[in-house]
Amino acid sequence: MRIVQFVFVTILMACFSVCGQNKQLLYDFIEVPQALMVNPGMKTSYQWYAGVPLFSGISFQVGSSGISVGDVFANDGRDINDKIRDRVIHGLTPRDEISGTYQIELLSGGFRGRKRPNNFYSFGVYNEGDGIGYWPRDLVILGFEGNADYLGRRFNLSHIKARGEIVNVFHFGINRKLNNKLTVGARGKLYSSVLNFTTTNNKGYFVTTEGERNVFAHTLVADLEHKTSGLNGIKAILDDDTVAKRKALLDLMKKRFLFGGNLGVGVDLGFTYNLDKQIVITGSVLDLGFIYHNKDINSYSLKGEATIEGVEIILPDGIGDPDRDFWQNLVDDIEEVIPFENNKKSYLTFRPTKLNGSIRYNYGEQIKTKEVCECSYKTDDTNGYVYANSIGGQLYVINRPRGPQMALTAFYQRRFGNVLAVKTTYTVDKYSYTNIGFGGSLQLGKVNMYAMVDNLLAYRNLARTRYASFQLGINIISWGKK
Amino acid sequence: MSCMMRKIFNHFLFSIGAMLLLNSCAEELNFNQIDDLNIVPEVEASLLYVESSERLINATIGNEVYTQKFGFGAFNEKFFAEKVISGSITYIVENTTSKNLDILVEFLDDADAVLDTEQFVLQPEPTAVLQREIAYGPSGRNIDIIRNTVTLKISAINLGDNTSESSVENPKVIVKSSGKFKLKVK
Repeated sequence: MRIVQFVFVTILMACFSVCGQNKQLLYDFIEVPQALMVNPGMKTSYQWYAGVPLFSGISFQVGSSGISVGDVFANDGRDINDKIRDRVIHGLTPRDEISGTYQIELLSGGFRGRKRPNNFYSFGVYNEGDGIGYWPRDLVILGFEGNADYLGRRFNLSHIKARGEIVNVFHFGINRKLNNKLTVGARGKLYSSVLNFTTTNNKGYFVTTEGERNVFAHTLVADLEHKTSGLNGIKAILDDDTVAKRKALLDLMKKRFLFGGNLGVGVDLGFTYNLDKQIVITGSVLDLGFIYHNKDINSYSLKGEATIEGVEIILPDGIGDPDRDFWQNLVDDIEEVIPFENNKKSYLTFRPTKLNGSIRYNYGEQIKTKEVCECSYKTDDTNGYVYANSIGGQLYVINRPRGPQMALTAFYQRRFGNVLAVKTTYTVDKYSYTNIGFGGSLQLGKVNMYAMVDNLLAYRNLARTRYASFQLGINIISWGKK
Repeated sequence: MSCMMRKIFNHFLFSIGAMLLLNSCAEELNFNQIDDLNIVPEVEASLLYVESSERLINATIGNEVYTQKFGFGAFNEKFFAEKVISGSITYIVENTTSKNLDILVEFLDDADAVLDTEQFVLQPEPTAVLQREIAYGPSGRNIDIIRNTVTLKISAINLGDNTSESSVENPKVIVKSSGKFKLKVK
């Protein structure tokens, strides 16, 4: 029960923190089994592994592309109103975002096929929360400053763009060494969505112009839609004073975690190819899938267009009805042409698909791994031995509501025998040009522990960081037959 | 998880956390600044447009062209009434009829009590467009007038005759109005 509570609290916290995480440190870190989750076609040497439930893979990332906490709340003597006006309202653009993601492996394991030793099978369940909200600049300007000094300016409603989801993922993957050069992998996924909100295809504008009859004309052209699933059930419990809220929420979550939510399917694909003994290229595509939302739907839309110039009365038409409420009539007319509607229609969401690619050059001392194989570093066989050093580059692309978002990484990896492997990365993306990460994997007997932290330079001044990310976990790994 | 494993993992977590914390720092932050944040948008909108033709004025018996109340709940909308702190109403009055006209705009509360009035005495055409801005709030009339207004009453008195016709095409008297208000949202 405590575990369930822990998971639930973690998920709720993640909800409040509000996209797929770039795991550049974990990617192709073959000493860590969880690297299979970012490339199912990674080279595997283990006979089997078992992740410690709930602790085998914990990852968290939060990022803001345009602003940091310190930009607003630094005790610098400046008026907060000036800071918010300069750095937030007029400093951020509609491409700036706040995003966050977390992932907790609930169960994780893998084993090599007895009859097909070239096959490595992995499976597990993880819970993932993912959210992104783009800066709705025009609406913020309208809200903070009003329309008074913006005659003729179109406030763009397409700036409203956000999505988020909490989903439980059940997966099973096959990794197969086709030959000494090529390893491929695929993972099937079943998604059980706990909750989802998405408002990404909005269009329209609001503008105040010089009126034809009256002083000003106000035009609203709207095509807005906000879709949600899974939120109503949670809200109903929170609003119901007659039920034990915590138990009711836990029951609801347990049900949704175990295929009781909105369901979907997806696939991960990957490969590793040795161009020669020292140069390796890899690639993967993750979360190529969708979720069909047909349960607990509550969606809203605002569609239509209208131009008004206040209450217009052309006499004598206005005379004779003393009870006529001209203002209410105007409001009713607007609501008729721009109806705000609520619906329960099913909808489809696509997972934020990610693409990884890398090229690696291995060099230096050759270290014999624990892999059980008939292999020798003197042959062209690349199995059974690893080089102590690797350098290379990685590319990461994720599909976002405003189009693909990219990150480029350069890395260096060093192995110290079969006990310790460390990797350092330098990543350039929209959050930071100075993202240096460091991660390590420690193998103590069969116990494997790993930890990876991004954006280390930001720790010089946490208040000014726009990006923070970590991954850690613990596994039991065996290279033996049993 | 076995006790041993948990210990190892806890040490592992502690070491990472300690390493990061010992090597990190943050400039001084003051989240209480949020209390000083002012969100005061200024909104501008057309309010009322009333148009009356010379033909209607000439067809009216007596000199009272019309006296009409207009239910106008915009000022009384909860959000607006609670947040408005100051503002102004701009009137643009245009007379292209051949009459001298006296137009009175009254602001009434829900008991029909008069809260404020604005009078316009208009010369017959040719006449310039009359524009007048009335401020409400600290530097003008009491903002409660705006908050409590639920009805606008407009009266038009013909100070001329009922037979003359303007030389202007399609003569009429027009009252345009717009409001510009500051709302203290926070």
